[in-house]
Amino acid sequence: MSTVSMEPLLYRSVRESVRYAPISRTFKPSSWSCSTNHKLVFHARSFCNFRSSNVHALRASTTTDTDIFETLESTDVFFKETFPLKRKETVEGKIFIRLDQGQNNGNWQLTVGCNLPGKWILHWGISRAEDGGSEWDQPPDEMRPGGSIPIKDYAIETPLKKSLSSEGDALHEVKINLIPKSAIAAINFVLKDEETGAWYQHRGRDFKVPVADYLLDDGNLVAAKRSFRVWPGALGPLSNLLIKAEVSRANGSESSNESREAEQKSRSLEGFYEEQPIAKQVAFDNSVTVSVRKCPETAKNLLYVETDLPGDVFIHWGVCRDDAKTWEIPDAPHPPETVSFRDKALQTRLQPKEKGDGCSGLFTIEEGLQGFLFVLKLDKGTWLKCMENDFYIPLSRSSSLLAKSRQDLPESAQIPESAQIPEKNAKANEEASLSAFTNGIINDIRSLVTDISSEKTRKNKSKEAQESILQEIEKLAAEAYRIFRSSIPTFTEEAVVEFEKKPKSPVKISSGTGTGFEILCQGFNWESHKSGKWYLELKKRASELASIGFTVIWLPPPTESISPEGYMPRDLYNLNSRYGNVDELKEIVKIFHEVGIKTLGDTVLNHRCAHYQNHNGIWNIYGGLLNWDDRAVVADDPHFQGRGNKSSGDNFHAAPNIDHSQDFVRKDLREWLRWLRKEIGYDGWRLDFVRGFWGGYVKDYLEASEPFFAVGEYWDSLNYTYGEMDHNQDGHRQRIIDWINATNGTAGAFDVTTKGILHSALERCEYWRLSDHKGKPPGVVGWWPSRAVTFIENHDTGSTQGHWRFPGGKEMQGYAYILTHPGTPTVFYDHIFSHYRSEIAALISLRNRNEIHCRSTVQITKAERDVYAAIVDEKVAVKIGPGHYEPPSGSQRWSLAVEGKDYKVWETSQ
Amino acid sequence: MEVSVIGCSQAKIGKTELAYRELGCFDPKGVSKAFSAKSRVCFSPSTRWRKAGIRFTLRAVQSEAVRSEKVAASSRISRSRDGVRLFVGLPLDSVSDCNTVNHARAIAAGLKALKLLGVEGVELPVWWGIVEKEAMGKYEWSGYLALAKMVQDAGLKLHVSLSFHASKRPKIPLPEWVSRIGESNPNIFFTDRAGQHYKECLSLAVDDLPVLDGRTPIQVYHEFCESFKSSFSPFMGSTLTGISMGLGPDGELRYPSHHMLTKSKQIPGVGEFQCYDKNMLGILKQHAEATGNPLWGLGGPHDVPTYDQSPNSNNFFRDNGGSWDSLYGDFFLSWYSNQLISHGNLLLSLAASTFSESAATVCGKIPLMHSWYKTRSHPSELTAGYYNTTTRDGYEVVAEMFARNSCKMILPGMDLSDEHQSRASLSSPELLLADIKKACRKHGVEVCGQNSSASMAPGGFQQIKKNLLGENIVDLFSYQRMGAYFFSPEHFPSFTQFVRSLNQPELHSDDLPEEEEETAHSLNVSSEASVHMQAV
Repeated sequence: MSTVSMEPLLYRSVRESVRYAPISRTFKPSSWSCSTNHKLVFHARSFCNFRSSNVHALRASTTTDTDIFETLESTDVFFKETFPLKRKETVEGKIFIRLDQGQNNGNWQLTVGCNLPGKWILHWGISRAEDGGSEWDQPPDEMRPGGSIPIKDYAIETPLKKSLSSEGDALHEVKINLIPKSAIAAINFVLKDEETGAWYQHRGRDFKVPVADYLLDDGNLVAAKRSFRVWPGALGPLSNLLIKAEVSRANGSESSNESREAEQKSRSLEGFYEEQPIAKQVAFDNSVTVSVRKCPETAKNLLYVETDLPGDVFIHWGVCRDDAKTWEIPDAPHPPETVSFRDKALQTRLQPKEKGDGCSGLFTIEEGLQGFLFVLKLDKGTWLKCMENDFYIPLSRSSSLLAKSRQDLPESAQIPESAQIPEKNAKANEEASLSAFTNGIINDIRSLVTDISSEKTRKNKSKEAQESILQEIEKLAAEAYRIFRSSIPTFTEEAVVEFEKKPKSPVKISSGTGTGFEILCQGFNWESHKSGKWYLELKKRASELASIGFTVIWLPPPTESISPEGYMPRDLYNLNSRYGNVDELKEIVKIFHEVGIKTLGDTVLNHRCAHYQNHNGIWNIYGGLLNWDDRAVVADDPHFQGRGNKSSGDNFHAAPNIDHSQDFVRKDLREWLRWLRKEIGYDGWRLDFVRGFWGGYVKDYLEASEPFFAVGEYWDSLNYTYGEMDHNQDGHRQRIIDWINATNGTAGAFDVTTKGILHSALERCEYWRLSDHKGKPPGVVGWWPSRAVTFIENHDTGSTQGHWRFPGGKEMQGYAYILTHPGTPTVFYDHIFSHYRSEIAALISLRNRNEIHCRSTVQITKAERDVYAAIVDEKVAVKIGPGHYEPPSGSQRWSLAVEGKDYKVWETSQ
Repeated sequence: MEVSVIGCSQAKIGKTELAYRELGCFDPKGVSKAFSAKSRVCFSPSTRWRKAGIRFTLRAVQSEAVRSEKVAASSRISRSRDGVRLFVGLPLDSVSDCNTVNHARAIAAGLKALKLLGVEGVELPVWWGIVEKEAMGKYEWSGYLALAKMVQDAGLKLHVSLSFHASKRPKIPLPEWVSRIGESNPNIFFTDRAGQHYKECLSLAVDDLPVLDGRTPIQVYHEFCESFKSSFSPFMGSTLTGISMGLGPDGELRYPSHHMLTKSKQIPGVGEFQCYDKNMLGILKQHAEATGNPLWGLGGPHDVPTYDQSPNSNNFFRDNGGSWDSLYGDFFLSWYSNQLISHGNLLLSLAASTFSESAATVCGKIPLMHSWYKTRSHPSELTAGYYNTTTRDGYEVVAEMFARNSCKMILPGMDLSDEHQSRASLSSPELLLADIKKACRKHGVEVCGQNSSASMAPGGFQQIKKNLLGENIVDLFSYQRMGAYFFSPEHFPSFTQFVRSLNQPELHSDDLPEEEEETAHSLNVSSEASVHMQAV
């Protein structure tokens, strides 16, 4: 019963899901499970109240007709795009109920019909005179028209047949022959539209046609009257989908008058005819086409907007000068019938076309503007927008901009339309639709507030509402935090605080850090899948890795995958991969546990390959245990035609990206991670491509799966100026830190910044780069050491792929740096089993001996062209680079502990 | 109709049950479990507490709240309907000195988050030094108007703090032209015994002196208020519901007695009297002569400690036999505090009359000088201008002055609890707060609470809640203040928790059947928790 109530709140996620989702999923049991019938009556009523929150949807998907595009290019049209608009509109019609004597003399016939299009089903039963006419029962076989299906043991469903009325209009009707002398008191029914799954009732209750009077003698009048009552029991489970038959109060009383008249007549055996107005949402396909052309004479842009939307269409528009998409009012002249709207936008009525439906408008836009922003307003205060964004049309003809704008445009947009929100909200709505930064949530809150007229209604709503509101709040807060913080650098302070705090409780375990003393081993490379028995091979190395001093091993992605390396997963519950089968996996985890090494599962949550194609031939339908459909796929990657929401991060274009904003997706993924923990014994996660979705979801997953350790791969490009890497990579590390923050610190992240800076420093002999302008390490490790997982190479950057290989021959300098510095260091498999092995082992042993941990303090003592030196926790000194450095000879006595090409590490001797 | 329903209900039981069974969700326990699991996901109280390392305490407190809620359900629920209205302060530098909105997008997102949280409105400091920056009478409201519009669009209320002082962090100076005048005539500033000027607000002694290019500060303030009123008339009463009048240093009605304190963790000193600017001394002299003790009017007390010192390091504040308890002490302290009160009265009556028709409440803020409260002389309060000692109630007359002007009193420090104060400072924020509230209650002055603006004190939220839910005198709380820390993962979740717990009664009325189970559950946890805590 909460589904309908949820609509306005979760329009992003559950929009239209009603039609597809199995009832069990959308049905959220609440207090009614213990309610009495009396209570249920109330529920039935409150549905009626709800129906008013009628949500219309508009989907716009971008299709670019390349042919047109090319041909028009010659005529200076540099942008043309058509957005098909699938608009839902409430159409009114009627349900009619007729009781008359059929041709076959003497037999009464009940006709129920409807003049709206749809796949109508009559869900009906009878009441018998003997049980007071209040129970639903199945009618005798003779009464059931052809095509009827029994539903449980108390109702049947009969489809309405299409026929033509006397006026020639299409209508749907079903005829039921009544059997004389049977003890039927009444026929109960509701009407269902299979297309939309909507149920139509009579003012929140079943339709009830008392027939006893007609069939038996007149003596049972009281019974007939009494039988006109609610019987809500059977409707309880169905009513979550109920949509109110729109009966205004006035109409209602009229029709009951009518029916009373009808009753009067019927006593003289004349039958009756009654009509009920109903409203249904019918989808209309419209489109809006926008083309932009350079006017050769004036160098202005001519923008032509054309739509086939019926009726008056207003376009609210403005222009913007930058990517922020801030609305501005362009200079006059404006097209005719343009008014200024709250100094923020212009409102222009589109001119009706001369022939045919629709209307259009021509706008002249000055040069130098970046984009044209608009939303459409239909009559009745209905706003059509692109998701929560405005339509955005780029005005520059440069191809890069064009491409960019294409990406910006949501490929599939769903627009909340609130035609029936009470008057006072309409105004709020207008305002909201104007801001480029709008979200509908606040409006929803308002409509929520207005909807809280009945206690019970509120009860259903508030829980769901709270959850989605809280998520929204968290997102907004994270956004606000990011911006506030970026203007005030506070991270160095935080890092210091951390240093102070840590030594007091060095073994506090959190999923972002483990114990704080972890040393990771990446236990595979890009070729590991080749043998098909990697688990068996790696297993043999377990005790060796433990003796080197590793505490955590990162195992390859375990799921069935389209690609042999495992990063294109398909069936998440199938753990037979090219690395070995599920039993071998369990075995290797067990063996590592025996030698005291925790195991990380490499989980790919960003994307998932599909099993099947949809009707368009697009691969976005899933099989296996998690048989999701295209609602689980983000909407903004045109290759996969997802019906989910827009991605909360960057897109990985090779596979359908999962829409983590969907509750069912998150629930499934949480369960999956818990299952992996329990079934396989993984201790934590290495999270692939976390740029692809909001870190807040990661937090959710981590809190559900409670890993010992988790690290995310947030890999994006460093900042370069003129091909040379910037010294200041604060922007880069800030993005990583923002992600960690979004996870609430529940996960660490690979310190890509540090790797990048090491590249430059070592390759070009620019060791000064290893100190930022505040004298801290310049990577993530300088700002948030405990969450920085440092590394110099992995299966992507190195191995046989070599996308971003560490400067050759200088790996040990890299390891001397990360294995002596705070953060959680990771050593790549290829390096361990190479000639570097003994040096790496010596460094790890030194790290463990000196109890350097992820929050150790680092004091940079030298950062010059050819040498970098630092003292960590006042007990380990390290220098890398060819230049000369000796630790200060003060109170401490330093002794050289490890030495190699261009690096030296000292420790204090007690 | 209902009668008939009841009449046939029995016949239906069988079928109803059947229906439930088919849905597989008959078990009410399962239902409630599903929900509790859900709520954990979104608010994740348990995990957060765990991380904070204080899970058990907080849980326990939470369940206590539930328990008391059940006991006093009726009264609390009725109260919560309009309950305590919560405001959140916007960043001090929301509007830059060139009149643009700073971090507008962050504020926009923040406003939305607050609205969704159910916060009533925001408090916005409006700086004299920004609006009337360049020249007297040249007002520039655009930045603040833009911000007010944002607040209005977000559907929030606005409470404006007219700030006639300067701020050190972030740096917001007095108007340039005022500073220029101050350079040539430093006597417009408060001055201490050593002759140091406090240049962040004008001395109250010049209130009625034409020191600002021939106009008195009061006139200048008045014109500022008038200009504000006309510029903000579109918001007045609808969005703009409160105006707080800046009364002195940091907007508070006090002397800047503690401004020279070194900022360290050491115990705050007693502060110093600020009566040494030329005009103050003149008034003092006059007053002394008028009361027949001309020798008392030559300066402030000679035997006071310096800023950082403790009360006993000199004679004036000593518990026993200190000069404060002498005739001279009474003479000086009465005069010193009366000056402050009449200054407050001047400004509040000005504000009250200016905004009398504007449907916005006028407020003034007083400080919570809680250090040394447990001594007899209350030196911190004395130097700040509050003649409140163990033998004299100094807040009566302040509350009376607020009442006379029908102004609301803003009281900071609602987050401070005695147990977190350093013992050596003999401080008691709780007792002092109770003192002031008592005076307010007596004179019917409404109180608007605030937390001390620094980052949240330990146990602060609990303390605020205690202060808010305890009595009815505080109907509005203005939480300080939006910014990076406010939205940080360390702070924001607990703030969310706090807001939700303020509204808790409302939630419970929704969810009674399930909540009862939850209550039982959390009670278990808390008893378990206490065991754990003892074990630790």
